[in-house]
Amino acid sequence: MLGFLTARQAGLDDPLRLRRAESTRRVLSLKLNPDRDVDRVHGNGINTIDIETIEGRYMLSGGADGVIVIYDLENYSRKLQYSCKALCTVGRSNRHVHKFSVETVQWYPYDTGMFVSSSFDKTMKVWDTDTLKPADVFEFEGNVYSHHLSPIARKHSLIAVGTTNPKIQLCDLKSGSRIHVLQGHRAEVLSVRWSPRYEHILATASADSKVKVWDVRRASGSLFTLDQHNGEKSKASSETVNTAHNGRVNGLCFTLDGLYLLTTGTDDRMRLWNSASGENTLVNYGKVCNESRKKLQFSVSRGCSPEFVFVPCGSSVAVYALHTGELVTMLRGHYNNVDCCEFHPDYQELYSGGKDSNILAWVPVLRTPDIEEESNHENKGAAGLSAVNPAFQDAWSSDED
Amino acid sequence: MELPQREQLQQLVEELTTSGQPQLDQDKIRELKSICRVSNDCIDQVYHLLMTQLDQDHAEIRLSAFQIVTELFSRSHHFRTLLVDNFQEFLELTLETDAEQPLPPPKDVARKLRSQAIQAVQSWHSSYGTAYKKLALGYHFLKQVKKVDFQDAEARTVTERRRQEERDQRLERIYRARVEAAAQEMDESAQDIEAALTEMESCTRLLFPDFGLADFHTASSSSSSSDSGSTEEEEPCCSRTLQESTTGGMQEEEEESLKKDKGGDRLLAARTREDTEADREDKQSKDEGMEHQEEKEKEDDDEREKREVESEEEEPDEDSFIRNSGLISHSYSLDVSLSPVLHVKETEDNEAVVSTMVELHRLLTSKHLPAVQNWVQVFTRSHAEPQLLRRALDLKKSLEAALNKHRDLHIDYKARGRRVMKAASDEEDDDDDDDFDEVPEKEGYEPHIPEHLRAEYGLDPSPSTSAAPDRQRTPPTKRPVAPPLPCSSSSSSSRRLKQLKEEEQDPTSAAATLRLLRQKAQLPPESCCSSSSSGPSSSQSGSEQKSAEAPVVSFGLDLYYWGQERPNAGKIIKSASQHQFWVPAEVEEEVENKDLLEESKSRYISFPGRFVPVSHFCRAPLGNGQLCQRQDRVKCPFHGHIIPRNHEGRPIREEDRQREEQEERKRREQQPDWRDAELMRDIEAATGEDLGSDRVSGKKRKGKKKKYPNLSDLKQSSNTSRSRLEKKVFNKSSMRRVAQVMSKADRRKHDKFSNQFNYALH
Repeated sequence: MLGFLTARQAGLDDPLRLRRAESTRRVLSLKLNPDRDVDRVHGNGINTIDIETIEGRYMLSGGADGVIVIYDLENYSRKLQYSCKALCTVGRSNRHVHKFSVETVQWYPYDTGMFVSSSFDKTMKVWDTDTLKPADVFEFEGNVYSHHLSPIARKHSLIAVGTTNPKIQLCDLKSGSRIHVLQGHRAEVLSVRWSPRYEHILATASADSKVKVWDVRRASGSLFTLDQHNGEKSKASSETVNTAHNGRVNGLCFTLDGLYLLTTGTDDRMRLWNSASGENTLVNYGKVCNESRKKLQFSVSRGCSPEFVFVPCGSSVAVYALHTGELVTMLRGHYNNVDCCEFHPDYQELYSGGKDSNILAWVPVLRTPDIEEESNHENKGAAGLSAVNPAFQDAWSSDED
Repeated sequence: MELPQREQLQQLVEELTTSGQPQLDQDKIRELKSICRVSNDCIDQVYHLLMTQLDQDHAEIRLSAFQIVTELFSRSHHFRTLLVDNFQEFLELTLETDAEQPLPPPKDVARKLRSQAIQAVQSWHSSYGTAYKKLALGYHFLKQVKKVDFQDAEARTVTERRRQEERDQRLERIYRARVEAAAQEMDESAQDIEAALTEMESCTRLLFPDFGLADFHTASSSSSSSDSGSTEEEEPCCSRTLQESTTGGMQEEEEESLKKDKGGDRLLAARTREDTEADREDKQSKDEGMEHQEEKEKEDDDEREKREVESEEEEPDEDSFIRNSGLISHSYSLDVSLSPVLHVKETEDNEAVVSTMVELHRLLTSKHLPAVQNWVQVFTRSHAEPQLLRRALDLKKSLEAALNKHRDLHIDYKARGRRVMKAASDEEDDDDDDDFDEVPEKEGYEPHIPEHLRAEYGLDPSPSTSAAPDRQRTPPTKRPVAPPLPCSSSSSSSRRLKQLKEEEQDPTSAAATLRLLRQKAQLPPESCCSSSSSGPSSSQSGSEQKSAEAPVVSFGLDLYYWGQERPNAGKIIKSASQHQFWVPAEVEEEVENKDLLEESKSRYISFPGRFVPVSHFCRAPLGNGQLCQRQDRVKCPFHGHIIPRNHEGRPIREEDRQREEQEERKRREQQPDWRDAELMRDIEAATGEDLGSDRVSGKKRKGKKKKYPNLSDLKQSSNTSRSRLEKKVFNKSSMRRVAQVMSKADRRKHDKFSNQFNYALH
């Protein structure tokens, strides 16, 4: 750390280098921190969370009971201990509330004054954040599993929507209508994701175990379909031709630069694809437990020198190195299945929501003073140092001698 | 951390967790804690040991491990961090947060573990919740997602009680609704029932005016007393007693016996009419009886008169009595058996009444009685008001009484269908019917054939002899013994008749002999036949005695050609080709067949011998000092060939004795005396060395020593009759045996029928 600082001071290093090193270090020290709490508002499982990219301050969460909550993540209290306040809630008493489980929430990429939520009540609602009233409501024939707004689009304002219908719907925010349909999948579409690099590129994952990449300007069909065997016919049995997984594909995530695409499937695998060519990079992440029948939301770190993937894995969040597939750590804190996790790029924090109706904040724990080792013994001198919290003291009673 | 310390920890944890006690041993836990104090390594070790113990499928082990955990949790920070890091698993193992991993049996211990764990988590949360975030999260998870009630046990019972109360209330509501419905129904249909009952009652009245026992009694007694008062002096004592017995013993008169009486009446009447001194009163009563005959029934008052008809066989003059009747004494006692039940016969007079009765009966049994029973059930179950129940019970009682009465009537129903037909047809049809003779049904087989038609049917003159030609009595010259053949067929045919006639020409045939005998002794053929067939024991005359003793053999070719020389016996004549010009090269016209020749001359007689029951015993000495009581003919399945033995069971013959001693010696050598399983086990227990007692005893030691004797046995609950039976029925060998038998049966069927198209399809 000091080396980096002196090199930076001397102007030897790129500022990015120091930043990368520090953020990597912080990501590696992610812990369930008692200093950071998130208010418990949801009475039911949490399906989705989203942190806005403009300020990095507000977080949306959608629950299985249809409730949407907006949190303030910024700590202005000047204390280490902070609990994220729920700023406003679209509760059950709100007459615009989603009737059933909210599956996806997303901020409008350029303004926090608007966010979009979709739900199993077959609607997608565009909300005005100030009034907490839907500005527009799109209705569909089937349950909506996922929707996504392109984070970089300047030429269009399309929302891609995946429903139980195999056709992907494109809704235009400008006109407030469904303008386009992409046909190609044969089962429900569980996840849709716009490329962060090219504004017209869209990736979709479906229960027919296929992942298709589309250019929305081309109406005739998809650009290509990801093939787990890279087109080698000998390895693929006839059913698995052009499939990305051997089960339902329920998670999609582009890396920050949009060069790679990550997919997860119910075959307990995660795969990394080259998003330009659709080639399977064959990175082995091992077994990634995945039983979800719905969308799985996972995220990739930003600005670290080896990038990391945070993916829900049962009741914990697994952290993998993106390109090597090495399991860095398991973040264990939830008491039930984790459905979503979102990385906060500014502070290298991770927020995860699960079926135990908790949103946990994983905050980097910087190096703690070396008190613990001494305080294990009944040491009078050490007791004074560890007096920060009496609960950390040992309490061996004297009658055991 | 040193190795002995590690081992000591392991042993301590194992002892503590497998003690099976609800509380931990204080000394041991103190020892454990003193070891754990030393370093964090110890804590690590203990933590892993405890987690493995918590994972055991035994609630007692889990409970003890959990108790150790609580002891250490409050002591060591390191232990707390370890445990809280893995708090999900801990909760799963102690609080069954995962529904797919329930706590292991025994149930009561599991419940205790659960409640203790809940309390512990709560107390941990209150004291350490702020410091250990995951602990707080787990607490909230339990509280909000799993809805665990963290109140104390008292509160939980309160909620349970409330739940119970709610259930009771719901039940009560349901019952009340049912009772109301039933009461209403009862109100509605009580009138119907009563109407039906009164109707039934009046029907019974109509059929039997004075039903009811009491009425009957009084009527009969009063009438008999009035009548007997007038006839008392004339009656002989026997008839008086008869009358008394009939009036006393008989409750209700039976119709059939009445008829019998009437038959007697007529006879007596004829006699008494001849009699000049016939009593006037008797006549009167007789007339009454005659009238009664016409009336047939329904007036049970008249039965009494009939009894008097019986009683009027008194005769003043003995001589005339003898002269008239041929009976020596007139003091015969006449017993008339009367079954003490009522019988009502359906006639045209009471037809309407009876049919109403039938309908009423059906209504009562099928509708009202079940309904009433249902009400009674509802009222008793829901503790309804007593008057409702009483009313229902009254209804039920009266219904049952009516039904009983109906049953007592014993109504003989006419066939309903006939009545309909009769109604359709006129009386003239009946006259037409009279023109036809009644002919008994005839349908192919006739069991009885009249005598004069027997020849027509190709039968013997009498049916009993029809089987006779089957039996052959051998001539006395031939002595071979053969069991008498049973008569093979009872029905006769014309063919046999012809055969019989032929046989009569033949002097060797039984028929001829029979004819001879018949002529000679004038005995009916059937008796002779039956005697011969019944065995040699039956004797008739001196000459026949011999023939009776002679065995009976079946008829054969040799007997057919008895005493005849047959030149062409055993020759087979092959017919030459009938063709006009195609003649086979060489055809031996006649072929001599030795076998056939022999067959025509000889007779096979088998000697099966006689069954002799085994009278000897095996008598080999048994272990309990007794002798083997098996009675096998040659070989005892347990002791080999049966040899003569003395009363102690020792073989009598010298070589047998030697052989047995040799065997004994050999067995001893195989398993020396000192290798007694019990003894060896004792030695093993004393010395601690394995001498192989398990091997010697051959079978498993009874009650295999349990690893942890203190834990309650989970398998014990499975020792039910069902499980024991299952063990027997479903064990491998018996399954295999059954399968073998089944497959064998299948194979047999296959062998038999597989190439028969007909069976293969079915």
